[in-house]
Amino acid sequence: MTTDSVSTGDDPHRLLSDVRLLAGRVRRDQRLTWVALLVLAAVTLVAVPFDWLFMKVQCDDGGCMFSRRAMLYYWPPALLLAYAAIAVSYVRAARARGLGARVLPYAITGAATAVVLTAAYTAAAAYFPSHPPFGGGPMPFWWIVLDRLIAPWGLIGLALLVLARLERNVPLLLFTLGYLVLVLLVVPTTEGMRLPDWLIPSFLSGTTTQLRLSMTPPQLIAGAVLLAGGIGFSQARRRQR
Amino acid sequence: MTAQTGTPDPSGHPVIGLDEVVHQRVRLGILAIAHEARRVEFGYLRTQLDLTAGNLSKHLSVLETAGLIDIEKGYEGKRGRTWITITPDGNAALAEEIGRLKVLIARVETTTEDR
Repeated sequence: MTTDSVSTGDDPHRLLSDVRLLAGRVRRDQRLTWVALLVLAAVTLVAVPFDWLFMKVQCDDGGCMFSRRAMLYYWPPALLLAYAAIAVSYVRAARARGLGARVLPYAITGAATAVVLTAAYTAAAAYFPSHPPFGGGPMPFWWIVLDRLIAPWGLIGLALLVLARLERNVPLLLFTLGYLVLVLLVVPTTEGMRLPDWLIPSFLSGTTTQLRLSMTPPQLIAGAVLLAGGIGFSQARRRQR
Repeated sequence: MTAQTGTPDPSGHPVIGLDEVVHQRVRLGILAIAHEARRVEFGYLRTQLDLTAGNLSKHLSVLETAGLIDIEKGYEGKRGRTWITITPDGNAALAEEIGRLKVLIARVETTTEDR
């Protein structure tokens, strides 16, 4: 762009490419993807001790029943606070650069996921003890995936898809798709991962402790992926500037 | 200059319908940024469009007179800030201009292929 007034006979190709270039620059300047990912990573990693402390485990000769009460006591307020913090950060950063922010639909989606999580886990806690799904037998894979999807780690991914769409951010879209594949199809976020015995110190042995421990690795993996994503996007942004 | 926001006449050449207010590189740039940003500060526009303050003010004034943007002046601390917001008419004019440019490009390409 120049300071001169330009005639209406401007090359339409150039005008269109200018419009696209400027729109792309604005979008890049509005982004604060790394902050969103780091906040979500922090919330995920801080959840680990809460999950351990709030988990209710009852074992008898027939087996163990556990209830992850952090899903109700920790996650809903943590998600609401996280999305509020992300929205405030986006608005402040965009304002400092002289721009408006387009984060509100993401924050609203995030808050909605907290409501969905609360409703789903309240309903499950009330209904499933007396009516175990599939008669207490083995669950089909689609049910497991659905369970993982309405867990906090899956809902974080769903909300990130909305952010990627809002920002028209292809790298974030690819990252989120990878993250969703991981937390929905690969890592047993809701069932837990049994650790090999040699990895568990003797003072942590015992069925209930092992059950609590089994829930930790999936959370650490999800948190580590979000953390790595946050660091990666932060480095990429620094390089762009 | 006035804003023309009517639909393009399919029978006429797309150049006929071009809006002089919008079909100008700097003003088109201002509208594109304001549309994407929702709200944009004067300093950001000046940097991105590489304009002097006086020149940018003139273009903003043309767009404001045409009802395509709103200009809001205020203070942040002791610093004066001017925020520009695109109006619904501005969004419509931008979309229409982009549509006409695409038609124009398509027509030029078709004509070139025919030769």
